[in-house]
Amino acid sequence: MTNWLASINYITGKVGGIRKLILILMAALLGVTILLDVLVVEKIFDPLGYLYIALGTLAVLYGIYPLYTSRRLVGYYWERASQNRLAVAGLAFILFLILLALIGPFFTTDPTATNFEEKNIPPLGFTIEESVYHPETQQSISKTITGSGKHPLGTDNKGRDLLAMIVSGARISLQVGLLATGIAVALGTLIGVTSAYLGGKIDNILMRFTDIMMTFPFFLLLVFIVFIFGPNLAFIVLVIGLTGWTGTARLVRSETLSLRTREFIMAAKALGASDSRIILAHLVPNVISLIIVIATLSIPGVILAEAGLSFIGLGDPSVTSWGMVLRAGQQNLDTAWWVAVAPGVMLFLTVLAFNFMGDGLRDAFDPRSAV
Amino acid sequence: MEKAILSVRNLKTYFFTQRGTIKAVDGIDFDLLPSECLCLVGESGCGKTVTALSILGLIDSPPGRIVAGEVVYHDVNLLKSSREQVRQIRGKEIAMIFQDAQSALNPVLTIGDQIAEQIKLHLKFSRREAKERTVSLLKEVGIPSPAEAADYYPHQLSGGMKQRAMIAMSLSCDPQILIADEPTTAVDVTIKAQILDIFRRLKETRQMSLLFITHELGVVSEIGDRMVVMYAGRLAETATVAELLGNPRHPYTVGLINCLPDMTQGNDRLQSIPGTVPSLIEPTNGCLFHPRCDKALAICRRQKEPSVLVNQGHSVFCHLYSPAETSQPC
Repeated sequence: MTNWLASINYITGKVGGIRKLILILMAALLGVTILLDVLVVEKIFDPLGYLYIALGTLAVLYGIYPLYTSRRLVGYYWERASQNRLAVAGLAFILFLILLALIGPFFTTDPTATNFEEKNIPPLGFTIEESVYHPETQQSISKTITGSGKHPLGTDNKGRDLLAMIVSGARISLQVGLLATGIAVALGTLIGVTSAYLGGKIDNILMRFTDIMMTFPFFLLLVFIVFIFGPNLAFIVLVIGLTGWTGTARLVRSETLSLRTREFIMAAKALGASDSRIILAHLVPNVISLIIVIATLSIPGVILAEAGLSFIGLGDPSVTSWGMVLRAGQQNLDTAWWVAVAPGVMLFLTVLAFNFMGDGLRDAFDPRSAV
Repeated sequence: MEKAILSVRNLKTYFFTQRGTIKAVDGIDFDLLPSECLCLVGESGCGKTVTALSILGLIDSPPGRIVAGEVVYHDVNLLKSSREQVRQIRGKEIAMIFQDAQSALNPVLTIGDQIAEQIKLHLKFSRREAKERTVSLLKEVGIPSPAEAADYYPHQLSGGMKQRAMIAMSLSCDPQILIADEPTTAVDVTIKAQILDIFRRLKETRQMSLLFITHELGVVSEIGDRMVVMYAGRLAETATVAELLGNPRHPYTVGLINCLPDMTQGNDRLQSIPGTVPSLIEPTNGCLFHPRCDKALAICRRQKEPSVLVNQGHSVFCHLYSPAETSQPC
């Protein structure tokens, strides 16, 4: 028993902490499942599933665990951020959205199930007049349709439940927003910090590469990728993530440039820290507040990009996203206005909520705004 | 004589800037003996810190470069070792304390984390062992309630506490040599006394060598065993502290000692050495101190100062004591 514990202790000591051990085990596990996925025909996870697990593990180990260990500091920032009412409202809406996306699908019907018997039902509390062609009398008769509790937000012209579609859309939007931003911010931070810290030739190469990436018309690239590889949500997420890091890289680099000449970096070197250790353990934690703000403020852009792509018909047809509902609703705006309004309102509120929260966080993290 | 633990031989560190080459350290030699405290003394900008950073290979390149010399630690020339070898020695065998603990501690990490980092890195301790050691180190440098203090961020500590935390951090791996770069300059007098007390105790209990960089002769007389006086990147004089303070030879050392305010003697004006440290970009051929020296000879302008052994272990770098001295006044 003690032997077993000692060996665990030894291993954690070797790799530098229990968190790293978990991370390495997770990576190994993911590697094995990817291999199984490739070698064995049966699919275990889809590509997005891997991204989820990887980012989820990272978020718990390096996001939630540190927050838990420094509760006092979190309390301090909460106190400052909560003075901004809009930011708190934004946070509340985002939490609501996350809850909706996580548990909503268990309470709603299948968003893709069509039912032409129940098409164009208005939301609960609304009544519309619809003229229906009667095949026997060969006349158009006027019919009154009243919203019912069975479809609280009504249905579209194929009889799909709008509430289910909105819930599914929330899930897609958050997936795309969080995953793509996660990839972009992680890449941008690493490139920005490395570039600024190492300086010289490496800095030059990385920054010119960033400049070239910035000249790419990203939406065109997205259309191109969708055209070549087919409309797959994983591709869309990857393209947005792999092209969206440039702004982060530049901001993080300029912040790091002023940090690298600080004495504590020299002190860390004098005590034997390696370059990778200085970058990951000393520089990245110092820019984390900047990164959080950048991430929060860039999520809405990503969500809108995905919605735009779906709206012009280049989204993943196998998933119901807000952009897609918007597109369906826009074609029947005269007969069923609610189909377009619901996803529009959700998009509007989501983008607004993330922006408000981002502003609030920026103010909370900025020591100059302390009153 | 005992074998030196660290020998610096003919060390030359130059900075290559657009305005010219700055010879920040221009050929200095000294030995650090086991468990002694060697003080490196000189006014601002004379190359004390650059010497310390050169020993650890921390000169930013570009613009700086160590152009010549050797730093021998346990028969290994650090300047010829690989980056990785030097990195293993930094912190573990030779540790350094910086002048301003406020800026030398990472503001976003707790001091416990920063100290434990070195322990985990160099001694391969587990998290729990590292934590225990951190607490005992904080206790050793006199921080009250060390277990709690380990969870503080630097901004929650006072200046003196931060300096103590910094010392604890440098001691974390039981270094053989501790380089302290003006550790008492940024703190007030009472804290200074306490910090010096810690150093004195460490010297007794830990048997380590201390390279103490300072510009205050008062501090030197408190804790120093031997001292090296530097001027403009070169050596001026080296001897034991008692010998050098009691029997200074070099005009610069004499000037430095005269600069000390004497509280017992009324309110005379504070004495100073006229002039300032010369620009190191284009130094003259001769002795660098001669423009400020009141005893300068004709030869001082033309020829570099020789090394003269005036006593056992007391060398002075000055033409005045040269046997071949041609005593023509300047």
